Amino acid sequence: MTQDTSRLRLGVLGMVVLSLFCALLARLWYLQVLASPTLKVEAQHNSVAVVYTEAPRGRILDRNGKVLADNRVVLALVADREEVAKFPESLDRLSAHLGIPRVVLDERIADERFSRFKPVPVAVDVPKDKLIYVREHFGDFPGIEGLQLTERVYPNGTLAAHVLGTVGEINDEELGPRKPAGYKAGDTIGKSGIELTYEEDLRGEPEIAKLEVDSIGRVQRSLGSRPAVQGNDVRLSIDIDIQRAAEESLEQGIQLARKSTDFLTGKPFIAPGGSAVVTDPRDGSVLAMASNPTFNPNEFTNGISVRRFAELNDPAGHYPLNNRAIQGLYAPGSTFKLATSMAALKSGLITARDTYNDQGAYTVTGERSSTFTNARGARNGMVDVSKALTVSSDVFYYWLGERFWDNRGRLGTAAIQDVARSLGMGVYTDIDLPFESNGRVSDPAGREKLHKDYPEAFPYPEWYTGDNLNIAVGQGDTAITPLQLANSYAAFVNGGALFAPRVGQAVLDRQGQELRRVDAKVLRRNDLPASILEPLFAGFRGVVSDPTGTGFGAFAGFPLAAFPVAGKTGTAEVGGKQDTSLFTAYAPANAPRYVVAVVLEEAGLGASAAAPVARRVLEAIAVKEGISTAPPAAVNRVDGRD
Amino acid sequence: MQAPRNPAAPVRHVDLTLLLSTLGIAFIGVLMVYSSTRQKQENAGLDPAFFLKRQAVFLVLGLLALALIGLVDYRRIRDFAPLLYGGAVLALLLVISPLGTSRRGTQAWFQLGGFQFQPSEVSKVVLILALAAICAGARGSLDTTALMAALGLAFVPMALIYIQPDLGTNMVFAAVVIAVLLVAGARPRHIAVLSLLGITAIALIVELGMLQDYQRDRLTAFLDPQADSQRSSYNLRQSQIAIAAGGVAGRGLFQGTQTNLSFVPEQHTDFIFTAVGEELGFIGGLSLLGLFGVVVWRIWRAAVLARDQFGRLVCVGVLAMLVFQIFENVGMTMGITPITGIPLPFMSYGGSAMIASFAGIGLVLNVHMRRFT
Repeated sequence: MTQDTSRLRLGVLGMVVLSLFCALLARLWYLQVLASPTLKVEAQHNSVAVVYTEAPRGRILDRNGKVLADNRVVLALVADREEVAKFPESLDRLSAHLGIPRVVLDERIADERFSRFKPVPVAVDVPKDKLIYVREHFGDFPGIEGLQLTERVYPNGTLAAHVLGTVGEINDEELGPRKPAGYKAGDTIGKSGIELTYEEDLRGEPEIAKLEVDSIGRVQRSLGSRPAVQGNDVRLSIDIDIQRAAEESLEQGIQLARKSTDFLTGKPFIAPGGSAVVTDPRDGSVLAMASNPTFNPNEFTNGISVRRFAELNDPAGHYPLNNRAIQGLYAPGSTFKLATSMAALKSGLITARDTYNDQGAYTVTGERSSTFTNARGARNGMVDVSKALTVSSDVFYYWLGERFWDNRGRLGTAAIQDVARSLGMGVYTDIDLPFESNGRVSDPAGREKLHKDYPEAFPYPEWYTGDNLNIAVGQGDTAITPLQLANSYAAFVNGGALFAPRVGQAVLDRQGQELRRVDAKVLRRNDLPASILEPLFAGFRGVVSDPTGTGFGAFAGFPLAAFPVAGKTGTAEVGGKQDTSLFTAYAPANAPRYVVAVVLEEAGLGASAAAPVARRVLEAIAVKEGISTAPPAAVNRVDGRD
Repeated sequence: MQAPRNPAAPVRHVDLTLLLSTLGIAFIGVLMVYSSTRQKQENAGLDPAFFLKRQAVFLVLGLLALALIGLVDYRRIRDFAPLLYGGAVLALLLVISPLGTSRRGTQAWFQLGGFQFQPSEVSKVVLILALAAICAGARGSLDTTALMAALGLAFVPMALIYIQPDLGTNMVFAAVVIAVLLVAGARPRHIAVLSLLGITAIALIVELGMLQDYQRDRLTAFLDPQADSQRSSYNLRQSQIAIAAGGVAGRGLFQGTQTNLSFVPEQHTDFIFTAVGEELGFIGGLSLLGLFGVVVWRIWRAAVLARDQFGRLVCVGVLAMLVFQIFENVGMTMGITPITGIPLPFMSYGGSAMIASFAGIGLVLNVHMRRFT
């Protein structure tokens, strides 16, 4: 072999080597110069973890700034996952120290809701001495640390529970649409009431800590954080004193009804629950909203137990979680006569001076002839519309009901119902609380539709004269919420403005400055001339102040001269149940600032059960107004006719 | 009194360029080993400089090996080739006996106190000597007999390493054999047949399931990184992300997040180049490859200038060993060659490889400085 071929072969080898190096350089150029920008981002994602810590929620205040929902600091023990994995005996000791089974601790540590980059709260609301013990013996508890967490607290317990609502851990359904807003699994969220409606304002901004983590998720250092911002406060139009008076009075009225005997059956009233609502007719703001039975929202804060939740949903407990003020549907009974009277005057069917001789019964002639009577067969003699309201003459309204039906060609088949709806009955009030029911005002078209949709529950598609008599006195299939009832009277006493009721009043920042006002919202304006208003005002005033008025007995001794009250009793017959007791009132009668609606389920006459409850609420308001000094006495049950 | 000046004295012909480039690479290596281990060590509560210190010790050991080899005329070393070869084969036999220890399914180490010694690394250099000796002895073009003798010589250690198993080291062996045979004058036909055989062998090993699954995954992950979301392509992906994250200028020494946060597995050993790529950038990577280029060029030059065929073939063997390892190792971190456990010469953490690489350089320096004597 010659020197030349050897050199040639070395040359070949050199070329191979050179080309290999060129390949490496080309690839290096590609990765670091051409593809670098896109891959750099990936390196960034690799190493940065973001940890969210929820901010304390904003408070909920009453109209005078009294705190209805607050936060409290609780002591918690947290476990560093890595450390306790290294020192499992730490958890054994903790389990013994706190009396929490080891499996429970392990479950919490394994819970994926907790960020893997921050310690897991294994025990919340730990007694102070136990926490101090752990801190003093930190050598025995490696990986366990004590810290303070904030959680929702309702300092007044059950007070205004249905209005305030509850908070709880976000579920998958809630999380889906809220992900863009930065919610994470495990977050606390408003579940009902104001907590839900004003969630965005109350929530605040979580602390966002950026951490550098290594390939197995260990935190290396902080890359800075944005501190948590507590949520904004929400001020309600609720007045804590009126709210308390409403709840207490309602409870007393219910307890009293249970001790009373039903005149018709001779059995005590069941009185499973009820509702009392106080609104300001001038802007639709809600001053009090009571629903009975009630619950304690504090039970929900750290996740309610399945057993307790089942208890609260047991039919035997009459569903304390339901807010009857906006979800309970009741036949309005005679309180509905507001709508019938208004419709009659508006349509020109009667004038204020037209009278009818009430002899205690009204007979419909024709093929389906039948007789309708007043409650307890009372005879009221010659009554005009005002007197008919005052004494609650059903016969007068039966007469109107038939005349409406006879004139349906001219006035339409639902003249009364249209007026009722213009007062907000049977339609959503659009209040700023969730899960409201709309109810219904029954009419021929609705009857037909109901029959079509639910033929078994509503077997008759036709509308007869008798049905028009029933609607005229608020009986039949009509069902409205207590809030709708209050709101309809508000839309009358304020001269025709139907407001969307509001519980929220303003959103406040941490310094108490108003960030946003919840403006009054007028849903519609009804044209109510004096020719309609005057006779009705007179009639409702008579209910309370005229000795023949159905509410006269309930208001005996009330300072009517200083604080004039007007109102209407209602007693609704419900198939298969005892009568629903209703009462609506407004005060002062000459320039109303308060409308009260009280509904008690299966409690008897409106005059007997609901009116005394409303009276006690108004007494509390009178005290607040400085009109009366005597604290409200206990609710009394009175006899009555409606 | 001064010794008489001898223009042919070996000490006057030491290739300082080669020596200094090699030292430069090794120095960068020590630094990068430190960079890629200090954070992890610190997290574990251990001495952050642990790997730095050990790698420095390995460097000193490597330099000692280089000096030792440089002192003895390579023609004397040739006489010991049969002995060295026998010793290497014996060591490879012992390492697969219960005397050896295994790590991750490969039994390739002797545990010596706190250190592990990997005989297959040193046997690469021994094989170069033995191959060069047998091929240089053939004189003129290699006939079939000489070829078969050379192949037989390579076969024994390769078979023992296959048992360990260590596919990467065997690939280095194959590269060395082909390069030495090429320059030694093997007929082009033989070279072609050998290359074909090698490729077929690898294909058979991969296809016939003679590899563990993880080995096959590693080998094939670079062909289609999307095909396997397991460990292998994770390595590959993270390694490329690290290099790309460096960009042109790099993130600065000790500043790489991929490096500090241990996103690249085995970074201080097989994936050391990713630390260079991320922290020193394209400029750093280019410089490092440049230094390797200089080293390879000086070895090639030594082969060209060598006084005899044995010296030339030794240089060619060392050249093939280093080039294959550089290409395969750097290539795998960038996703253009399969992932095999081959260290980057002078850079990767590890004593045996360091000693073997420096021994190779020692041989080249030896051949080069004694070209006039």
